[in-house]
Parts: sequence; structure tokens; C-alpha cells
Amino acid sequence: MKQHLLTSAYHVEILPPKQETEKLYEDLDRFSSKFERVMQSGYCACITDNAMGNLAFQGTELIEELELEAGRNQVMIHLNTFHTKADLHRILDSCKAAGIRQLLVITGDGSDRLPRLTPAEVGAEGVEAVTSVELLRYIGETYPGDFDLGVAFNPYEPEDHEFSKLDRKIAAGATFAITQPIIERHPVVDKLIESYPDLPVVVEAWMSKKISLLSEAVGYEISEDTPYDPIENLKTLHRNYPQCEIYLSILGFKTQYPLLEEIRN
Amino acid sequence: MRIVVCVKQVPGTHDAKIDPETKRIIREGIKVVINPFDTYAIEAAVQIKEEIGGEVIVLSMGPSRAITVLREGITVGADRGILLSDRAFGGSDTWATSYALSRAIETIGDVDLVICGKQAIDGDTAQVGPGIAAHLSWPQATYVMDIADINSGSLTARRMHEDGWDLCAVKLPAVITVVKDINQPRVPTLKGRLAAEKQEIPIWKAADIGADPERLGLNGSPTRVVKTNPPQGRMKKSVVLDGPVEQSVRRLVQELRQRSLV
Amino acid sequence: MLTNNAEAREEYRNIWVVAEVLAGEIQKVTYELLGAARGLAEARGSEVWCVVLGNQISSQVDALFHGGADVALVVDDPSFMNFVDEDQATVLTRLIRTHKPEVVLCGATTRGRALIPRVAVDANCGLTADCTGLSIDPENGDLLQTRPAFGGNILATIRCSNHRPQMATVRPRVMNELPVDTSRTGRVITGKLEADEAGGLKQILKVFQDSENSVNLADARFIIAGGRGLKGADGFKMLKDLAERVHGAVGASRAAVDSGWVPYYHQVGQTGQTVQATVYFACGISGQIQHLVGMQSCDFIIAIDRNPDTPLMQLADVAVVGDLFEIIPQLIKEISRT
Repeated sequence: MKQHLLTSAYHVEILPPKQETEKLYEDLDRFSSKFERVMQSGYCACITDNAMGNLAFQGTELIEELELEAGRNQVMIHLNTFHTKADLHRILDSCKAAGIRQLLVITGDGSDRLPRLTPAEVGAEGVEAVTSVELLRYIGETYPGDFDLGVAFNPYEPEDHEFSKLDRKIAAGATFAITQPIIERHPVVDKLIESYPDLPVVVEAWMSKKISLLSEAVGYEISEDTPYDPIENLKTLHRNYPQCEIYLSILGFKTQYPLLEEIRN
Repeated sequence: MRIVVCVKQVPGTHDAKIDPETKRIIREGIKVVINPFDTYAIEAAVQIKEEIGGEVIVLSMGPSRAITVLREGITVGADRGILLSDRAFGGSDTWATSYALSRAIETIGDVDLVICGKQAIDGDTAQVGPGIAAHLSWPQATYVMDIADINSGSLTARRMHEDGWDLCAVKLPAVITVVKDINQPRVPTLKGRLAAEKQEIPIWKAADIGADPERLGLNGSPTRVVKTNPPQGRMKKSVVLDGPVEQSVRRLVQELRQRSLV
Repeated sequence: MLTNNAEAREEYRNIWVVAEVLAGEIQKVTYELLGAARGLAEARGSEVWCVVLGNQISSQVDALFHGGADVALVVDDPSFMNFVDEDQATVLTRLIRTHKPEVVLCGATTRGRALIPRVAVDANCGLTADCTGLSIDPENGDLLQTRPAFGGNILATIRCSNHRPQMATVRPRVMNELPVDTSRTGRVITGKLEADEAGGLKQILKVFQDSENSVNLADARFIIAGGRGLKGADGFKMLKDLAERVHGAVGASRAAVDSGWVPYYHQVGQTGQTVQATVYFACGISGQIQHLVGMQSCDFIIAIDRNPDTPLMQLADVAVVGDLFEIIPQLIKEISRT
């Protein structure tokens, strides 16, 4: 039986304020209160890195500037390949200083406002662009033992392709995986859990009622009127994947958060 | 070295929607962003300042909410910002816009260099940079991809052309417009942004820049938009191939062969 | 010049085209503009003039007449060997003041877009960038200028009633050249550079023509373009393979370029190149309007995407629904089979 990853709690995704915000202070307050609430619950706060290529403030600088206390094993930083080398090191050094061990290493989405690591900068040869594989290897080499490196697993991609990508990620130093949002159960995730008994798997639960937003992630059109109850789905995921931790995206802090403790137990 | 960077707040074009009835751009509630090309202009100015010293001023013309783009500039290293905002500027075309900006640059005084992005993504005209240069009677270098050298009297820059580039030296003061290739703008930090939030940004009106009212806004704009239409679509019927891959591909190649295209 | 009454406007006659001269050669866009100018001149009952500022350019004026010009106004001077926009603007402004054209057209190239705004300011007249359509208002003779705005989401029609000349830049490959008519002739007017017109504000130190690095999307018969659906630089290798087999060029959407999968000079669209290929393959490109405006005048458009509802799939002549990682290799196989 695979061990639990690092905590036995929920992974709660928190989006940092966007750079373009016109109400910075309000957004910062909202971020702080969500973060502190996750800390108090003993869960793990997962902070995204310019998700969808939209510029947002970095998780590490938010924690520093807002003087937030990162509980042990309670923060996971998403880290993608769209950084300068100097910024990458700044982020990694800040994580280390704040005692943050968990990184979710992804290729990420670029935009014309974001720089991108070059193969030469991370000592990668024979590739045209840096992906999560090269970044994993680089972090493993330059910060040996400092981080637990997670990677994304997409069961909606062609299966062979995705498993061979996972093998490359594991060879590059990945130690756990987080899936795309799963509705109830997915055979490829079952296969993942079965085939990689030593790899902790975190299953993502989509907590928005608007399931049509997942169309792009799953690669087929989900119509807007598709009924979806995120809380029921979460319960089902607990039943179907009792050995896995669960990653909550687009969680409603007002209405859904108070229900979490009960659902878990 | 005193450098003025002209920046513009533009609608995020991905969101641009047309009102089906009025056929006009819906501007209400639309997201606005700093013109992406202007971020390269700011970075170029800040790099010059870091190398040879001086001051970087970000200048914009627009409604009061455009103050956000000036703060973005200060966040990444500009020293201060100035916003031109007045009803009198409303309806300006590129002629009147470049006139107003040139007056502001004269009012700031002792400016050595003006940097603009190569164009704004809403209008895509690329006319304001050279227009400012013309109003000031300064030399210009457009589509600059690299600043090879800069000193108190001159600037040497590589200008990008469709077929290559040329290297030119212009006397200062001058106006340059820059393309993406020139640099990689630094990503704003929260620390920088918090400092920028605290800065007072002066708002200048037409009277503050000693402008001739006849040359401002709608009065000063020779061009008029008389109507807008949605672009015309192609009027052809599509063949949709959604069967098994082999079959679709065979049919596609057949379509190409029928037209002697392969 | 401000011309806010009909009488003042009457003084301005003829349609001018400012020639694009590169390395001593008059460029194709000039002939395209002559084609457009011809129609306008006929509507106005006036002449087409081509203004050429160049060095040792005189031998090429016959080609201008063959392409539709009635008059070639040539200023041949060694200082025009390179592109010194300030001096060219000064000369052009003077020529405009002297000869009073009604319309001035110029290519929307990097050089044209640097030069003409200076002239528009100095001559105090309106300028419309990147026009895709030009016509004459039959009621009052004004030039109606159509251009895409807001990233191609709308077409705006612009006029400039109270200033003359009316100036516009036009993108290359938007207007059509006239068939070459070697029997056409015209008048040559020779101008010269005045002593004080070389301002000495700019020096050209070096010129580099980069033929190797440029991807010739403009002249390609086949363009194989990729977007976000290719998922990475590796996907573009597949497109390159296909492009080689059909002797085509690789194009890209802005999303693919911004993600760093291919360099900028592959970009097709509003902020990239406008193309007019015979066949345009769009692979995994959803078809933001900014992309569509750059490629929609291609003759035959094929789109491959797993989502049949994207704007590009709707626009395409043939829309292939499915996984492009299966379709393209199969297509390469099928094309190579014969």
C-alpha cells in the first residue's frame, strides 16, 4: 500500500492576485485570509504560477511580503518553465528559506509577457524547449534533497503517450503525481495507481459547478447545461480512491469550505 | 539621461466583442491591459538607466483608470508617471495624440530620449511614435531590435526591416520605437508594485501642456471613423471529415488532387 | 493641409504612390499600390503619380508606367541609398506642398510606416494605417479608407474630409497589380534634394540583408501552420516534415509563438504576416480573429482540430475532425505514397 504523500489533508488551490488587478489591497487581503484559513485547518495550500499565462504575483513573494506563516508541509508551490533563471532561483531560494518542500513542476502556459527558461540555462541538451522534465532534473541537481517534486498526470491524453511522459518525469526526479480533475472515477487513473504502487497520487476534484469549464482540459466539449454536484463528486472520489489525497480546485471558501471536514470523516 | 516612455492602456483584445446591434466595440466592463509592446519600451528605458544613469518617466494619455498602466511602469523600474487626462483630448486620432504627447514631452523638459512600443494592439497604426518625432522635429529610429550604444549625444540602434536590419546612429534627443526582440521585460514583483501603489501620479490637463486647443482631440484630428462593420466571412461551404483517420486523410488528399494541389 | 472648403480641396489633384525602394530595386508593393491608385484616379478623372526617392533608380521608371503610373516624380540622389526617414520625409513634404496631390498611398512596410507618419504631421493631414480597401465616395470625392481595427474584430471606414492630401498606408499583398502593359508610357518629372534637406540627424552605419533567416511565408504556395493544439516544439517538427514534402513553409499562430515553440518570423496574423497561399493548413489553431485576418484570403483552407466548432474549423474549406497527432503522420504517408 502506497504511503500517504506528506500530509493527510486536502490540497487546496489558491490563486494569487493577478498583476493587472485594479484593487490590489483587497485581493491581497482575500489571499491572506484564504491562506491562513487553510493553515488553521491543517490542509495544504497550493499556489499557482501564472496559470493560463495570466500574470499573477508569485506565491513565495506573497508569503514573504504579507508575512504569512507557512506551516510544515502545508504549502505547495506550482512552478513552471516560464521564468528567467534568476527568478527561478529566487523562487527556489525563498521556498527553501520558508521551509516549503513541495513543488508541483509543470511546463506551464506562456504568454508574451513571460520569459522562458532556455535549454542551455538548465543544462539540457538535445531539446528545443524546456519542459517539466528538464526543469525537474535541474531542480534535483541544483537543490539535491531540498524538495518533493510533483508532476501533472493527464488521463485524458492518449494513454501510452501520457505514461511514457510520466516515466520520463519519474526518471527526472518526480516523486508524486497530481491528476487532472476526475469525475467520479477514471480507468486511466486506476491504472496509474495500480502500475505505480510506490508513487503517491493526488486526485484533483473540480469544485466549481460549471463543469463545462473543463472542456479544454478533458479535450471534448462538455455542454454548459451539464448538471454537476461538486460536493457529491468529492464524496465519490473519497470512496473510489481512499488511498489518495485530494486536490481541490476552484473551491468555494464561503459555502464549500465549511463542509470539508465533515466530508473527510 | 532623461527618458520618457509613452504607454497606452488597451482593451485585452481576446475579450473584444462587437455589439450585434450597434456593430460597435463593447467597451463597458472590458478588461484593459498595458499595451504589450510598451512593456518592451519600459524595459529598454530601465536598462539604459541602470547602465548609464538617469530618470525614466512613463507618460500616458487616457481616462483616469489609465493610471494603472503608469503604476505598472513604476513597478518595473520607472521613477515616476504622468497622465494626460482631459475631455479636450477625447476623440484624438494619431495626429492629435502625437501632438498632445509631444507637448507633454516639451513640458517635462530636458528629455533626451522618448521610447514607444512599435504599435498599440488596438489601433495597430504604429503612427504615434514617428508622429511625436515629427512634432518635436527630432530624429527617430523605428522597429528597434537592439540598442548597440547610447551616450549623452547619440544613440546607435539596429532597426528591423522585413528583409533584415540596418544599424543607424541618431543624434539625441530622439524618438525610438521598439520591437519584442529588444529585450525580455522583467516580471513585476509584489514589492515593486506595493511601492508603486504609494506614489502620487500627477494628472495633466490640456492647459498644463500649453497645447493649442485646435490641435487637440476631435478638433485636431484630420481623420474620422465614419462606420464600422464586422469583417466579411468567406462564403463557401465546408467539407467536414469526422470519420476514421485513414478515411478522412484519403478524402482530404483526394480533395487536394482534384484541385491539382498535390 | 487644412482644406475646409471645397474650393481649397479643388487645388489638390492626382493619386500618388510613394515607391518602396529596397537595395536599389522598386518593390512589388509599389506595383500593387499603382494598381489600386489606377482605379482611384479613374474615379476622380485624374492621374497616377509615382514618387521615387532613390539612388540610380531612373532606369526603372518605365516599369512604373507599365504598371499603371502616368507620371514618375523621381528624386535620384546618393543620399537615398539608405533609408534616412527624416530626410525623405522632408523632401516628400516639400513635393506635396509643391504639387498638391489629392491622395498619397504608401506601403505599410517597416519603412513606409516609419516615413509616412512624419510626412502626415509635417503636411498637417490625416493618415490611415494598414488599409485593406480604398474607394472614392461618389458624392463628394472623398477617399473612403477601410481598415481592420481592434485586432481585426471590426472593419472601420475612415475618411478625412477637411485635409488634403488624404494619406493611407496599405499592407503588401492586399491590392492587386495591373497586368504589365509595355505599351504604356508616361512623363518623368525630375526633382532634386535641396541643400538644406539632408538634415544630418541620422547616419546609416551598416545594412544587413537577411535572406537565410526569413521564412518566406509571403511567397509560399503551401503553408502548414500550427497552433496551441500542437502542444510543443516537437509538434512543429511534424509540420516541418509535412511542409518539406509539399515544398511549403511553416506558419504559426501567436499562441504557438508566444509559447516559444517557434520563432516570431513564422507568425501569421494581425501582429505577424499576412499571407495569401494557395493552400493553408491550420493544425490545432482555434482561429482567434487576429489569426484569421492574416490568412483568410488564402485560396484553399484546411483545418485539423479535434474540436469541430472552432472559428477556423468553421471557416475552412475542408475541416478534418480528430487528433492531429494521428492525422498529420497519416497525411504525410498518404501524400508520399504517390
